[in-house]
Amino acid sequence: MGQTIAQKILAAHSGNDAVEVGQIVTVTPDYVLSHDNTAAISKKFEKLPIERVKNPEQPVIVLDHTVPPSTAQYANNHKQIREFVEKNGIVHFYDVGRGICHQVLVEEGFAFPGALILGADSHTTTYGALGAASAGIGRSEVAAVWATGEMWLMVPPSVKIIVHGELPRGVASKDLMLWIIGHIGADGALYKSIEFYGEAIEKMSLSSRMVLSNMAVEAGAKFGIVPPDEKVDEFLKGRATREYEKVFADPDAEYEQTLEFNADEVVPVVAAPHNVDNMVKISDLDEVRVNQVLIGSCTNGRTEDFHMAAEILAGRKVAPGTRLLLFPASSRVLMDILLDGTAQKLVEAGAILMNPGCGPCLGAHEGVLADGEVCVSTTNRNFKGRMGNKNAFIYLASPYTAAAAAVAGKIVDPREFLD
Amino acid sequence: MEDKIRGRVWVIRDKDGNPINDIDTDMIFHNKHLAITDIKEMGKYAFGNLEGWEDFPQKAKAGDILIVGENFGAGSSRQQAVDCFIALGIQAIVGESFGAIYFRNCVNAGLPIMVAPGIAHSPVQSGDEIEIDTTTGRIYDITQGIELPPAKPLTDVQRKIIDAGGLLELAVKMR
Repeated sequence: MGQTIAQKILAAHSGNDAVEVGQIVTVTPDYVLSHDNTAAISKKFEKLPIERVKNPEQPVIVLDHTVPPSTAQYANNHKQIREFVEKNGIVHFYDVGRGICHQVLVEEGFAFPGALILGADSHTTTYGALGAASAGIGRSEVAAVWATGEMWLMVPPSVKIIVHGELPRGVASKDLMLWIIGHIGADGALYKSIEFYGEAIEKMSLSSRMVLSNMAVEAGAKFGIVPPDEKVDEFLKGRATREYEKVFADPDAEYEQTLEFNADEVVPVVAAPHNVDNMVKISDLDEVRVNQVLIGSCTNGRTEDFHMAAEILAGRKVAPGTRLLLFPASSRVLMDILLDGTAQKLVEAGAILMNPGCGPCLGAHEGVLADGEVCVSTTNRNFKGRMGNKNAFIYLASPYTAAAAAVAGKIVDPREFLD
Repeated sequence: MEDKIRGRVWVIRDKDGNPINDIDTDMIFHNKHLAITDIKEMGKYAFGNLEGWEDFPQKAKAGDILIVGENFGAGSSRQQAVDCFIALGIQAIVGESFGAIYFRNCVNAGLPIMVAPGIAHSPVQSGDEIEIDTTTGRIYDITQGIELPPAKPLTDVQRKIIDAGGLLELAVKMR
């Protein structure tokens, strides 16, 4: 019986030739990620009768959630993390300012084809875009990996999503992913590994593929894997932390389901409040006035996302009464958009350029909403209260749609502003 | 883990009596409390952002059992969304289905969690006393004297972790 990508990667990391769907395996992940929650995890860890982290090369710790800290308590958490890193000789530590963990791990070459990465963050699925199997786990689990180097996982069933055709102009991979989640639902891939295939995916940049893998978890998926190609090799040249071999599914691998979509049919959409699967075509929306626009996050805070925004915002102005916040996903992205002039165009249009980090995506700081306010956001969750106020409304959208909302002061089809 | 778990249940339904599906971790434990790292402090915020259930921490007592709908615990990997129930002394969670990370977090925190398709749509009511046989998955409503839709039994590994009181406890034992 053939094996899926998920099966092959889990077999390779559990010392098996092959594994079966539903089998529980003990794996040794290549890396285990944690962020500001390292403070709480280290408290759990320090209660164990264990001196030190077993393999100090395995953890990757990135401070990104509340950076720079907004309260004394967050600041103390960061301080405690630095002390923990020092005490345990943790090799891979990125302090405040480097960026969002998922972007940093990719840029630093920790994510590569065939890798198994677990992390105390649900969007750990992002690395699937480079052909890795990666999933979010809980805090106790991270502490256990620190202690033992290992973790149990159930081998998930796989679902194949094939996207034919090509996305039309002004339609981004974010629209496609909201489209897919809108069709299959927030639990449409619960516990499953998604493998993405098709012409539309092959044509996409790695940054665009990262949107799909990142948001696979919003359909409940365990992994969201894109079979690696030469674009991945090119990106990882001189960057990958290890030598790797690309992992592909066998031709006779077994999939629980195959879903097909046509990219040519996708139009600009939003996920309307308060569920990610509440997909609505912009053409079907009543007028929605917008108070704040956020472009950033581990979903859409990369250089190409700011380029999309600049296509619409350059030479135009943010509407009065609307705030536009930009959060580059990393210091690398920030440097890119500074050097190529994109940042200048956006700031001239009236944008507020913030520091690399998660920003207000999870409601902690740097752009919390007022009662009754509407935010159009390129982030990944629109749950009630997600951005710090349960009386506010979040619409998830592509960078094109977000930029167009900033110019118009309301949600409009971004293609109105594109040539 | 006990072979038989017995306790009073809370069935998480809306005011019309329908199960609430897709309850995400922000509804269970809102992001404004994320700076808290002490589990004992987390109980009072359980369901603080779930309409109609904000007073749950005052109503719940140690030993109670939760019955929930589909995709419970969707969203972030936030373990506080499990720990807040442990802080209240919740004995077990039974539901239609769970967010994948949420299910793991429960097992790894030593809190029995079981998938029982149909349970949120069954006649069971908040306040009923039920008994769960964790080995066979049989669930019996003592108050109403009826069988409820059964749960899928846990796997050996999952039982072992819960028996040890959680993953960390097991890791220490096995060292």
